[in-house]
Amino acid sequence: MNLFLLISFLLALSLTTWIYYQTTNRVGDIVFDKSIDNATFKTCYDYKTPQYYQVGTNYQDGSKAIKKELSDTIENLTFEDSGYITFRFIINCNGEVGRFRVKTINSDLQENNFNNQKIKILQKSIESLKKWNPGMWKDKAFDSYFVLNFKVEKGKITDIF
Amino acid sequence: MKKFLKTVKVIFTVLFLAYTIVILYFLFFSPKEERFIIAENKQGVYLSQSMFNILTFQHPDFSDTYFEQSVSFNKRGDFSKGFQLLNKAVEIDPKLHLGYRGWIRLRKMRDFDKALIDFNRLDSLTTNFVDAPWGEDIDFLRGECYFGNNDYQKAIDFFNRSVNNQKEDWADIQTFVYLGICEYELGNYEKAVSEFKRALNQSENTCEAHFGLAKTYQEMGNLEKAKEHILKAEENIGYKRNDIYNEFLNEIYLSEILEFKQQLNK
Repeated sequence: MNLFLLISFLLALSLTTWIYYQTTNRVGDIVFDKSIDNATFKTCYDYKTPQYYQVGTNYQDGSKAIKKELSDTIENLTFEDSGYITFRFIINCNGEVGRFRVKTINSDLQENNFNNQKIKILQKSIESLKKWNPGMWKDKAFDSYFVLNFKVEKGKITDIF
Repeated sequence: MKKFLKTVKVIFTVLFLAYTIVILYFLFFSPKEERFIIAENKQGVYLSQSMFNILTFQHPDFSDTYFEQSVSFNKRGDFSKGFQLLNKAVEIDPKLHLGYRGWIRLRKMRDFDKALIDFNRLDSLTTNFVDAPWGEDIDFLRGECYFGNNDYQKAIDFFNRSVNNQKEDWADIQTFVYLGICEYELGNYEKAVSEFKRALNQSENTCEAHFGLAKTYQEMGNLEKAKEHILKAEENIGYKRNDIYNEFLNEIYLSEILEFKQQLNK
């Protein structure tokens, strides 16, 4: 009897642990990684960070303004492939950015490897942008995830959105 | 005492097993539609993704599952994974999912050529029917694709088709704004004025049309009219076309209007 009780208990416990993990983690969540993340960047809240579209996070005057501000950087960068460089990062309640993660794909949407040094230059350029409007809900500023795409055509960045 | 302890052990064993069975039954054997709705409502959560994985394993031809599972990846910028799933949905049921894939390619990725391929293929599969991918007229969307590619003449052709499909009063007001911008870009200023005015006929608050008119009148040398419309654009900026997910191709901002106003007043 003790063995049955133990087995049934372990089954229930494993399932509960699995469900807890499954319900508390989401696609695209970014956990702090001390090997790549800036330790001075802090989020304002400990609870789950919402997505930009849930709290209306944006850049002042949109990606048109980003394109204008980054025009020099963009002009001087060339890549060996076409595709997309997509940055996902957090904008905290004070409008500061951090915890960058990047995905790069070619024009057939297959993962590829754009030059890492150039991607770092792009990340630095995003970090230099200062007019982020943090997500708001009921007059309160929130941390949120944001996504910024750089479209690369024939080696040149042709659009940011 | 021994009997009591044994009874307690039996009760707990049964409870633990029942709990496990109920959850496993729900995950693996409850009706697929019920599981789909729950997974759909929990978009982005790992549990939702696991439920979709179970559903696609059990029902590999249930195209909605691949489509719905792709949404959270594409929204979060993981297009590689998102499109692996969405492509599968299109492969199984192109009529149902081509429109959405084209729409995502247009609005989320600005891949105008591939969006056009999807819209054209959808159109060829549904002859005698005007499609509305993700609720928008297919010709309006094709017009946006050509606009994105700076092919203004083709864009005009498709925006006009959209007006014909929807009829003047029901067409998306931005169709006329786009028509005005295209004519402006082609240097057809009289036509641009006429198209922007069609937008204002639907709503006087269309700030994009006022902004377009201000720019067009400036080109035509009519500074008085240009100033009149830039003020109206500024007044009506609260009505601008925007979307919390993506920036539109013809989206305008107050800063642009103010910059242009300053330029006009020099």
